[in-house]
Amino acid sequence: MSEVIVVTSGKGGVGKTTTTANLGTGLAALDHKVALIDADIGLRNLDVLLGLENRIVYDLTDVTGGHCRLRQALIKDKRFEGLFLLPAAQTKDKTAVNPEQMKKLCADLVQEFEYVIIDCPAGIEQGFRNAIAGAEKAIVVTTPEVAAVRDADRVVGLLEAAELRNPTLVINRLRPKMVRHGDMMSIEDIIDILAIELLGVVPEDEMVVISTNRGDAVVQDERSRSGQAYRNIVRRMKGETVPMMNLDQNGFVGRLRRIIGFK
Amino acid sequence: MVLEMQEQGNKKTRKAQEIDDLVDDNTILVRRTLRSGQKINFSGNVVILGDVNPGAEVMASGHVVVLGALRGMVHAGAAGDEQAVVVAFRLQPTQLRIANHITRPPEDESARPSQPEIARIKDDVVTIEVFQTGGERQGFVV
Repeated sequence: MSEVIVVTSGKGGVGKTTTTANLGTGLAALDHKVALIDADIGLRNLDVLLGLENRIVYDLTDVTGGHCRLRQALIKDKRFEGLFLLPAAQTKDKTAVNPEQMKKLCADLVQEFEYVIIDCPAGIEQGFRNAIAGAEKAIVVTTPEVAAVRDADRVVGLLEAAELRNPTLVINRLRPKMVRHGDMMSIEDIIDILAIELLGVVPEDEMVVISTNRGDAVVQDERSRSGQAYRNIVRRMKGETVPMMNLDQNGFVGRLRRIIGFK
Repeated sequence: MVLEMQEQGNKKTRKAQEIDDLVDDNTILVRRTLRSGQKINFSGNVVILGDVNPGAEVMASGHVVVLGALRGMVHAGAAGDEQAVVVAFRLQPTQLRIANHITRPPEDESARPSQPEIARIKDDVVTIEVFQTGGERQGFVV
């Protein structure tokens, strides 16, 4: 029962790569076999987030071009046995791969892995078409900004046109305080427009930047709220029913938890 | 994605002809939400069972009815019919055009309409009113 999931958004900088890294790490931490594909050819980042940059020998285009075996290009994660990365090429561009090759690649990977997660590049051109070609499911990432939601809406339409129905939504970088003051789009506002199933909400959190720069995934940080959010999303991906996190920390319980160190 | 829905050549039986006299013959039913970048262009009336999201476009030579929120761009009477109307459960378009009139919502107003509204040309001005059932009150005969 393997799944090929593409993480996409349309707009850049909303957290596709961060989400891919965290969901992959989170699933691997639960002893699943996971392959992450960086489909952002020419602007690879996923290897950096996972701290695997200096281990790259072969990349995605080497595999699709037949220059190496798939096994040779897969890089094993530092922390988890079951987590592998197929890095993107940095010295080529999106035209180096075509959708047919991506389909074949995904079909090969599902033979061995329970989850294949594809990090889609920003935009809706060839890179996007390559990334979604082999996927069976899609996760759309957006931030609570009008432009990001607009682009997410466009992408949902394109996914539907490509027969990738019922994508799920991750809202990233939500700032509950700003929402409360009416200065930021709320979860409801976003769902109202996109009308797709909500997979999870990740609050804005400095810990994401800190762990990213260290080449760690915040999902492993037991104390951070964003880590908790990602762990919840991972459990929902596995089919568990997990209630949405209470993002409002101003209540008594929230204050108390903060005081005693549960962020 | 561009959806070009063309008028279908309809063979009219006598019975159909009689019905045609009562209703407009060309109406298309769109059974989904139009998302950003999607477009409907139809010569006739358009009825949408879903929302029209920002960045989506609906162009019709006749009326446009949206059974949902209309947040995108809409052009009714695109061939010049000033009698064309736009009706939506939540009428909050980015831009609304009827025939050769182009309007946009007032800058300062962010209130959500709570009732279905109708837009049409009255005295050469596009006006928006609460939609009330009953053809006569609406000023056009169905």
